[in-house]
Amino acid sequence: MAYELSVFVENKPGKLERITKILAENGINLRSFSVASAGEFGVVKIFVNEVDRAEELLRQGGFTVTRRHILVALVPDEPGGLHGLLAALSQNEINVEDCYGFPLRRGNRAAIVVDVEKFPPAEEVLRKNGFKVLNDEELRDL
Amino acid sequence: MYWQKKLETMDAEELRALQLKQLNLSIARAKNAPFYRSRGLREVKSLEELQEIPFTTKQDLRDGFPYGFLAVGLNEVVRLHSSSGTTGNPTVVFHTATDIDQWANLVARCMYMTGVRPGDVFQNTMGYGLFTGGLGFHYGAEKLGVLTIPIGPGNSKRQIWFMQKFGTTVVHILPSYAMHLYSIVEELGIDPKADLKLRIAFIGSEPHSDEMRRQIERLWGVKAYNSYGLSEVCGPGVAFECPEQNGMHIWEDSFIVEIVDPATGRVLPDGEEGELVLTTLQREAMPLLRYRTGDLTRILPGRCPCGRTHRRIERIKGRTDDMLIVNGVNIFPIQIERTIMRVPGVGKNYLIEIHEERHMDRLHVKVEVDREVFHGTLAELTGLKERLTEELKTELTVTPVVSICEPGSLPVSEGKAKRVVDLRTKNK
Repeated sequence: MAYELSVFVENKPGKLERITKILAENGINLRSFSVASAGEFGVVKIFVNEVDRAEELLRQGGFTVTRRHILVALVPDEPGGLHGLLAALSQNEINVEDCYGFPLRRGNRAAIVVDVEKFPPAEEVLRKNGFKVLNDEELRDL
Repeated sequence: MYWQKKLETMDAEELRALQLKQLNLSIARAKNAPFYRSRGLREVKSLEELQEIPFTTKQDLRDGFPYGFLAVGLNEVVRLHSSSGTTGNPTVVFHTATDIDQWANLVARCMYMTGVRPGDVFQNTMGYGLFTGGLGFHYGAEKLGVLTIPIGPGNSKRQIWFMQKFGTTVVHILPSYAMHLYSIVEELGIDPKADLKLRIAFIGSEPHSDEMRRQIERLWGVKAYNSYGLSEVCGPGVAFECPEQNGMHIWEDSFIVEIVDPATGRVLPDGEEGELVLTTLQREAMPLLRYRTGDLTRILPGRCPCGRTHRRIERIKGRTDDMLIVNGVNIFPIQIERTIMRVPGVGKNYLIEIHEERHMDRLHVKVEVDREVFHGTLAELTGLKERLTEELKTELTVTPVVSICEPGSLPVSEGKAKRVVDLRTKNK
């Protein structure tokens, strides 16, 4: 099972920087992230290589943080790469709550982090449509 | 110049005799209310004996909810007014048809005193409904025989349109709203002194300084009169400024006035500042004996040049309790606390701030999210904010600005954390 960390932050100068500082000082690699804002507050989602340790460190740093179950799938790093994945989900009536991604160093591919409301069906849909959904071991080696 | 010359200018001795007679009537009526029945009240031989009767407090009124203070049968009551809110009990006040008429008479007396006459056009911008500010003045103005526009609060452009089209001469308005409305008038390019017929403003329901009153008078080209009242004993019309604008005559044919030390309850002599305590002399449905208003003031010694013998109280200085007045609406911080604590997802700490935005009060409520129930989505946070806004609005009848804050960012709940920060400057 793959997880991202979701952090509640007030929209004030220096708030994001405090998160990245904790990660940087503890040698945690931030692979990708997304920020959703509702004006004076927002939610920062971060995808890191060491979820457990990062969660603990952020909690100790006073953050309101929780982990969320996600899927990480690979798409070709080319025009239409993400579109194919989203089309597969939408054709199967699967709503995407949140989605962000990052290109991989190897193999001309990108990893897409997907938060959906229906997990097992989403995973099945992606596999059936030829997308690689990463397991724990593959995530570690990413 | 007097609405009821004989009553308003009655000499002190005569007034006291009238008070004693009415006081015994009030005591006799009060005995019919469940709350007072248990107090073993008896007739008094002199006004001094009033001091032997225990105080009635706002908490007593809450404990007596809903009918504990009703002194007549339901078949005789025609109206109730109530404070906002359902957390803790609101205070409810009942009126017979005679009470409504007496109250209207007091308001008419106040308005007449300031020079309002039939032929004036009166625009009442105060809230109607459970709040007494709107209906109290409405009935008073009709009793006086003045064309009354029951426009109620808000919708500034329409307020101004009515003033222009109907030639409004008298207005009843929150002082902060008078300031706010002036900024709108300016934007519209209207000069109130040249383009409007306003000559009198009644300002009340919220604390304000004499400087603010003078500013309202200057900007609008009116004479502005301070008004005092509280729903527990009727509403507006309890005390009012005469053209001297030096203290508010409190109608002593309808109320016995005492100023007491808020800590000890000891009655203070005229001139000393303390808590205003009122005993109703006319009220039928709900007589109150020695009611602690929570308002701090003093009686101005000496006679008023206007010829009225009823003593004057000074502008209200503040409260003995933590009651907040936001745009004229009375709010207790506990109402806010109880409301937000009922909502899941909210942490222990909160902060209430009152800001001044374009002369109007703005209530801000800051709450922390509960770390343990955060699921990591933005939707839950915006939902929490919306729910808190809605629940607080229902409870307070005031729409707050709710902020969702990180745990640990607000003062902790242990000890005497300061939970209310009043950032308004206009009262100071």
